Amino acid sequence: MAPRPCALCQKAKAMVKRPKTGQQICRDCFFYVFETEVHNTIIQSKLFSPGDRVAIGASGGKDSTVLAYVMKTLNERYQYGLELFLLSIDEGITGYRDDSLETVKRNQQQYDMPLKILSYNELYGWTMDAIVSQVGRKNNCTFCGVFRRQALDRGAAMLNVDHIVTGHNADDIAETVLMNIMRGDIARLGRCTSICTQGEDTICRSKPFKYAYEKEIVMYAYFKKLDYFSTECIYSPDAYRGHARAFLKDLEAARPSAIIDIIHSGEAFEIKEEIKATQKVQQTCQRCGYMSSNALCKACTLLEGLERGMANSGITDRVRKKMEAEGPAPENLRNIPFFTQASGSPAIAVSVALDAT
Amino acid sequence: MSACENPNVDKDALMTRRQKFDGKTKICVKCKEIPGRIVIRYAVYCKSCFFPLIETRFRKSLEPSINVIPDGPRRKGLHAAGSLVIAFSGGIGSTALLDLVAKTYFAPRKEDLEKLKGGKEHPRNADKDVWKGRPAVCFVEVCGAFPGDRDRTEEIRAVVESYPGSPFEFVPLRLEDAFDPDWWSAIGRGDLPSAARSLGLDMSDEDLKLSPSPVEYTPLDALRVYLQSLPTQTAFFSAIQTLTRVLLLHTSASRCASHLVLGTSLTSLSVNLISGIAQGSGYTVSEETKEEWNPRVIDGLPVRVVRPLRDIGMKECAIWDWWSRLPVVGRSRRYIEGGGKNAIGALTRDFIFGLESDYPATVSTVARTCAKLTPKEGSDCTCVLCGRPVQHGVQEWKAQISIRAYEQASTAVSGNTRPPHLTEEEIEKLIQVPHDTPHSSLSLTPRLCYACHTTLTSRSSRGTATSIAKGKSVDDVPIPTWVRAAMYSFLPIHEIIAEDNDDEETSLGRIKMTRTDMKAQIADFLLPDE
Repeated sequence: MAPRPCALCQKAKAMVKRPKTGQQICRDCFFYVFETEVHNTIIQSKLFSPGDRVAIGASGGKDSTVLAYVMKTLNERYQYGLELFLLSIDEGITGYRDDSLETVKRNQQQYDMPLKILSYNELYGWTMDAIVSQVGRKNNCTFCGVFRRQALDRGAAMLNVDHIVTGHNADDIAETVLMNIMRGDIARLGRCTSICTQGEDTICRSKPFKYAYEKEIVMYAYFKKLDYFSTECIYSPDAYRGHARAFLKDLEAARPSAIIDIIHSGEAFEIKEEIKATQKVQQTCQRCGYMSSNALCKACTLLEGLERGMANSGITDRVRKKMEAEGPAPENLRNIPFFTQASGSPAIAVSVALDAT
Repeated sequence: MSACENPNVDKDALMTRRQKFDGKTKICVKCKEIPGRIVIRYAVYCKSCFFPLIETRFRKSLEPSINVIPDGPRRKGLHAAGSLVIAFSGGIGSTALLDLVAKTYFAPRKEDLEKLKGGKEHPRNADKDVWKGRPAVCFVEVCGAFPGDRDRTEEIRAVVESYPGSPFEFVPLRLEDAFDPDWWSAIGRGDLPSAARSLGLDMSDEDLKLSPSPVEYTPLDALRVYLQSLPTQTAFFSAIQTLTRVLLLHTSASRCASHLVLGTSLTSLSVNLISGIAQGSGYTVSEETKEEWNPRVIDGLPVRVVRPLRDIGMKECAIWDWWSRLPVVGRSRRYIEGGGKNAIGALTRDFIFGLESDYPATVSTVARTCAKLTPKEGSDCTCVLCGRPVQHGVQEWKAQISIRAYEQASTAVSGNTRPPHLTEEEIEKLIQVPHDTPHSSLSLTPRLCYACHTTLTSRSSRGTATSIAKGKSVDDVPIPTWVRAAMYSFLPIHEIIAEDNDDEETSLGRIKMTRTDMKAQIADFLLPDE
């Protein structure tokens, strides 16, 4: 049987079946359409302005490795005029993060981008290993998620960047839409499909891979011979998210467009005005100055619980009430450094990857 | 540790299940006297308290939407603008619904009608019914979609006619009626013009072009060809649901019904919501719970689609049926809720049912969350296939997020953005827009909502439930009558006349358009003879 020609250029031999469209295309056309679709996403959403300092959230996994490569490629091809940085968070998980950070350091050398590694230990005084030893594995993802988000913002402020881009892909967003519906998290449901989220005083965060399928990201890394570190976190028994992920994979297998269809659904609806009116107004945390919907931000609440030996106070009402009954937080309690927005010049010197080892 | 436990699992990582019911005793939470016999959302109820509980929830969901002004005061009673149509599949939910409707609104009156003050024709007595006219119970037989499956119409009829006093009129429909011009005519929509009858759909690409087809099908064959031409199992079952829904809507409109009630339980509603979102119908997520459909006929009442069991779980419906000794004669859910295991509907059903056992609040959380959503922007047109609102810019969105041809991305294929592996000449050749053929101008795509367009075009390597028969192609597929009627109005008048002239010469078996049909089309542009 004669080789099937590429459905796009009609010239070369088709090498891949695109998970997103089902078309059989050649490798060069795959590179071109993958990169151009990311470029279209960036342009349509007006994500950047020339001269912007942009940090790429780099974990050493497939998404951020490909994101760093594609951002560098597009910045040069389309002359975005961006100053790119790599920003990595070290959660302090022995045997998991150590290896993936090596990938980030290699990317730093390959792409010639400055790298900043910020650790939970440096910022909160706790590593995830230490947190898990206190809270167990049941709720540790809550700590990690809250701490990582704030750590990225603080790392970005240290680098004095305007913007953080993360490697969240279409599968992640579709999964989040489903999760938020099933958990009834209406506030997150309203914003989880936005390509760019920006609080009143936080750094703009965006997801250029919003419409890129996870499988295509792997495909891109494979054909471009990009190396990355791929291991599930050893502390991730989030049963509920696991259910949602497995369900999404089943949907994708039944109809590959399901991922993009869920994102389209998420973009098509919004929360009713009368419901919006009942939601909490954003304020700043009294203790650390980070954005919060309560007097204390979630990270400070969780940290206080850890420091006072009642780690679940940020998770269950019963433990929170018990901690409140024991009186206010002691004055010598370890706190997160006060958050200050980027001020125009880098708050820290950017470390070179090799120095950071 | 028992022998079958996995010693490698860290117990701390497992989520413990909540106790099946709250409280320390099994006494009914309502009467606080009798031991409970059913647990509903962690609360225990006895048999005698269960029935009023369900009736109250049923009325609370239905009655605010009965009067012309919804959610208004109901002190002066319930008076609907039109008649009532009850959709009945014979399944667990619709069996409970029919029973609740019969017992709540159509139970035989205790007092003798003859003894009513002023007689039964007196306005005071005549006006006692909530809905006008005799309520209809509508059943859509879907066995046409599943060759070899038996027809259940008579079993359903027996159930409907078993109610004391025969309060309901039984209206049997068949899924293939969706392709039957005679049915279309019988519900008062008039004769389909010949140019509309002959339209065939090309499903081979995303444009979904319509062109005159030389093939004539019986309604049953048309249904089967249509379903077999769909690209996925998901599309197959989704199409059956859509056809059923639109058949019910048109039937309701033809009977001047103001309300169409469906037996969708809370569990089914959650499944439908998640399944709909997974198929791209997020824009119409609110229609899944509450919908008002405009039949677009002169003097036609808008049909309010209500799901009075939307706060009652499937388990409660099943208990209602069981304790009321009601026969459940409908098909198993594999037929009506997206049967094949590789269909999104069935996957969602299995997922939600599975979650319900580990996380029992999920079902109501899904429904409550979706009730807080509204479309981001308004719509000024409806989908010709499903009749629901169409969002603007659907095709532009699709083209932007995935490049399917270089001509689509012609603006990007310039300057430094050119594909580096192609020469200038090759690019020029690829971005040339092909010239339209004479009949290719009419496309279904712009008239479809996102979900329907995806149903007809999104492919999977697994294919559809049944493979298309040998010798059949997907470029000449029959379409439902309401789609033909709607698309007919977009046909250029010269094409209609020209095609009908061709008919005579080419003898393609199509019906010639009558002078009356033609005149009706151009009536507004004709001047009086004088």
